[in-house]
Amino acid sequence: MINGLVVTHGELGVELVSVVEMIMGPVSGLTGRSNSGKSVSELADEIKELISSDNDCDTILFIDDFGGSCANAAQLAGAAGSSTRILTGVNLAMLLDFVTWRETMPIDELPRRLVEKGRQAITSMGPVQEG
Amino acid sequence: MSLILARIDDRLIHGQVTVGWSRILQPDQIVLCNDTIAADPWQSKIYKSAVPPDIDVSILNKESAAVFLNNLPLECKTILLVENPEDMFDLVRRGVKIDEVNAGGMHHSNSKYEMFEYVYVNRTDIAYLRRILNSGIPVNAQSVPGVKIHTIDKLALDAIESIMP
Repeated sequence: MINGLVVTHGELGVELVSVVEMIMGPVSGLTGRSNSGKSVSELADEIKELISSDNDCDTILFIDDFGGSCANAAQLAGAAGSSTRILTGVNLAMLLDFVTWRETMPIDELPRRLVEKGRQAITSMGPVQEG
Repeated sequence: MSLILARIDDRLIHGQVTVGWSRILQPDQIVLCNDTIAADPWQSKIYKSAVPPDIDVSILNKESAAVFLNNLPLECKTILLVENPEDMFDLVRRGVKIDEVNAGGMHHSNSKYEMFEYVYVNRTDIAYLRRILNSGIPVNAQSVPGVKIHTIDKLALDAIESIMP
């Protein structure tokens, strides 16, 4: 199984995880973390510790925005490697799909799927026509 | 048994059903039984669009839903959704065979009282839940798979009714 770590500005990541559980039921190995009040290096240390705390598991890091402090901290933590991946632009669809597929898909294939699912979920909804 | 989940949920087709329960139960189809939506092609279209393409969906009024559910092929795993206890009891009264009712979402509104975080009831709800129980069908509250299951039995209904003015 692949672990998930959602690192974002404010409480966004923590809340995303709680919404995933509201929809899917209790989920293990999916953690939300905030950057609030932390320097980039402090956040990087925290990420490093969370990733290495479970060496038997691969980890995907979900970050809110590319180029923000969370993405920088993830890179500084050395999280873009063979057993860990970094995805930016996290959204609910990505996380729901992650929980659905992380037990069966390998770390080499899952990130590409999640990026695609996350993109597919971004739509401009037109009105539904009568009839 | 082809009816794998009979659920009361006022949000009807939404993520807890199409993602949460469907991931665990792997249904072939969802039957949404609601007179108002079934009579409105526009609303029907909106709800149908919320179902993943690998799951069939039928939106039927109570009369049609009862006939449909009474003739389900055995191998067709079906999730039934209704808005409230009254509609669920109506299907029971029409002979639909239900092993257990899942109270999954009865959200807060005026003059409703909290049983659980996601189950609020008024006297009408209580009356129809009692009729379901009296038909020999257990009722359990559970929003999504894996969370605690609460039994809604006669005692629980008596207790919530006793705090109503």
